[in-house]
Amino acid sequence: MNLLTVEHVTKQYAGHKALDDVSLTIPKGSVYGLLGPNGAGKTTLIRIINRITAPDAGRVLLGDREIAPDDVYRIGYLPEERGLYKKMKVGEQAVFFARLKGLSRREAVVRLKQWFVKFGIEGWWDKKIEELSKGMAQKVQFIVTVLHEPELLIFDEPFSGFDPINANLLKDEILALRDKGATIIFSTHNMSSVEEICDHITLIDKSHNILSGNVDEIRRRHGSNIFEVAYRGDEAALRAALTGRCEILDGAEEQSVYRTLRLHVGDDAGVRAVIAAANGAVDLRSFREIIPSMNDIFIRAVNGAL
Amino acid sequence: MSNVSIIIQREFNERVRKKSFIISTVLMPVLMLLLMAAPALIMQFSRGEEKLIAVIDESGLVAPQLEDGEELRFETVSLQTDEARRQLTDRFGVLWIGADILANPSAVKLYANGSSSLTIEQAITGRIERILEAEKLKAYNIENLQQILDEVDTHVVMQTFRNDRSQEDESQADSSIVATAAGFILGMILYMFLLMYGAMVMQSVIEEKQNRVLEVMVSSVRPFQLMLGKILGVAAVAVVQVLIWGVLLVVLGAFVMPLMLPEEVLAGAQAMQQGMPDASAVAGVDPDMLQAVAAVTDVGYIAKLFGCLLLFVFGGYLLYSAMFAAVGSAVDNVQDTQQFQLPITLPIILALLVMMTVIKDPSSPLAFWCSMIPFTSPIVMMARVPYGIPWWEVVLSLAILYASFVAMVWLAAKIYRVGIFMYGKKPSFKELAKWVRYKY
Repeated sequence: MNLLTVEHVTKQYAGHKALDDVSLTIPKGSVYGLLGPNGAGKTTLIRIINRITAPDAGRVLLGDREIAPDDVYRIGYLPEERGLYKKMKVGEQAVFFARLKGLSRREAVVRLKQWFVKFGIEGWWDKKIEELSKGMAQKVQFIVTVLHEPELLIFDEPFSGFDPINANLLKDEILALRDKGATIIFSTHNMSSVEEICDHITLIDKSHNILSGNVDEIRRRHGSNIFEVAYRGDEAALRAALTGRCEILDGAEEQSVYRTLRLHVGDDAGVRAVIAAANGAVDLRSFREIIPSMNDIFIRAVNGAL
Repeated sequence: MSNVSIIIQREFNERVRKKSFIISTVLMPVLMLLLMAAPALIMQFSRGEEKLIAVIDESGLVAPQLEDGEELRFETVSLQTDEARRQLTDRFGVLWIGADILANPSAVKLYANGSSSLTIEQAITGRIERILEAEKLKAYNIENLQQILDEVDTHVVMQTFRNDRSQEDESQADSSIVATAAGFILGMILYMFLLMYGAMVMQSVIEEKQNRVLEVMVSSVRPFQLMLGKILGVAAVAVVQVLIWGVLLVVLGAFVMPLMLPEEVLAGAQAMQQGMPDASAVAGVDPDMLQAVAAVTDVGYIAKLFGCLLLFVFGGYLLYSAMFAAVGSAVDNVQDTQQFQLPITLPIILALLVMMTVIKDPSSPLAFWCSMIPFTSPIVMMARVPYGIPWWEVVLSLAILYASFVAMVWLAAKIYRVGIFMYGKKPSFKELAKWVRYKY
């Protein structure tokens, strides 16, 4: 079931098209990566989903009906440019934002205390934001975003400004939120984090949706039948055995334990034959397909090489 | 609870809790009182020590009758002028009066040991003139002279009434001194509030933009709600401040002043409030003074002024703060606001200039029209209210003001909505006009 559907959304600003006929569907309970180079139109799309701006054409559905003003209470948004009132105290501020999202004051305080304990920041309640470091303020901002337990969470570059330990803490919390049933839109340039936590992605470039789908499937789909064989034994014997069955891409790299060779194999039947041949020639240690990283796919897609 | 009210609460709490608000609220009336009392205080301190003047009176007429004043003391000496000038250098000066002073009034010389002043010289010549006049009258040998003089001495007291408002009622005397002072003070208060609180809204919008809080906020509330909440929140602060000042003034006027003023003045003022126009003659006090006291201690009069003040402060502030909010949203920092602020502050300053002439002539066409045009009406109308203008003018002016506020908020919201997401380049007026037409 899809939580959010974007249908043929177009948004024009004076002079340029920020989004041109963009469609995507976000399955309920998934972590959905929204990727794209700077200026591609990601932020505009997020703002349209958030109802900050309205599209010129197309529509956005939440569940099975068009998104309505009150739906902002079902959405939590962590913008890339973080912002809190500097002179306001942490607790007071968090309660203020929670109330804007429809929580009662009492409920907000109860939930906040729990989150503060979870993040180990109980002592910050009466501190002013300006007394906190950037990373500390980000934690507060994260709590403010998720406090009203929205069905849809939108994180724009959530890990920027976090040290690895806190980034990990945050990642675990995001995945925990998903496990509790929240759907998460995750906008980033950081491809390794996409591989780690995203189930689905959409790649937006120059106002268009150029690639959409399940992360594993996309990677597999864009694999180019490159395999790596690791072995012990004589390289010449292996090369001789494989000749004619596949294309040998590069020479053996000397590694500490095993030698490796990269091959291009035409189809699945060929793979079996190659393995059999290699197995006869050398001591085979591993044979695996080289699946391209999201980083490679991203760069190739943006450069139009897909 | 609606989001606008949550925002209003935040804006209000943040400001009212600030030390600067508490200090300015308490300090302002004190400062104003000091300002009003300043002339008296300065007089008090500048009075200085007693000045002793040695008098050499060759006519023998003047010296015995010279009366000592608060600052001046006269001492008759029987020295020659030259000797006195040489010996009595510790005196303020030596006053020489010629023997033929009656025939020749210019036979008076003051040898001052230091700089003299116009006030002192006038005090001395004034005294001598009175003595000489009395002496000359005596020369006519009129019987019962003193009695005649006492009977002749007259002091005219005039009261002004508003014939255009009531042809019969004589209970409401009109004091132009009180009206002028009140008009000036109220106009100034309006001027101060419009600029101060308007700029406060602008600064706070810029701050939110710089902090990037806006991005978070607009995911929960519509930009229009955010702007309205901010404007109303700051308005609540302004209203509270006016109310506090109002209460302070009423308490001061109705309860503290009576304790400090002489009883006969107070009785006169009360008589005047109750419609006895000859009260001042009874009390033997200057009627302007009496009317001033009557006005300041008249709770009804002050309440009427404050009612108007609140309505005009609120309306005027709303109109201007909407413009200030739009300007704040269009720029990235306070330095960039100048070119946009000019068209806003210009009408305010213009209104202030008009106000200066209006307090002299509150019913001129200029005064009327400027108190109808919404950009100048708060300041100009407020300066006219103490004179007691027709109520329909006040109502019309308020109606125009509040209607134009609604139009201005609508316009400002359009600029605001686009402006808060624009970073970097400072827009031109042309671009602002374009933003108004953006579809969202």
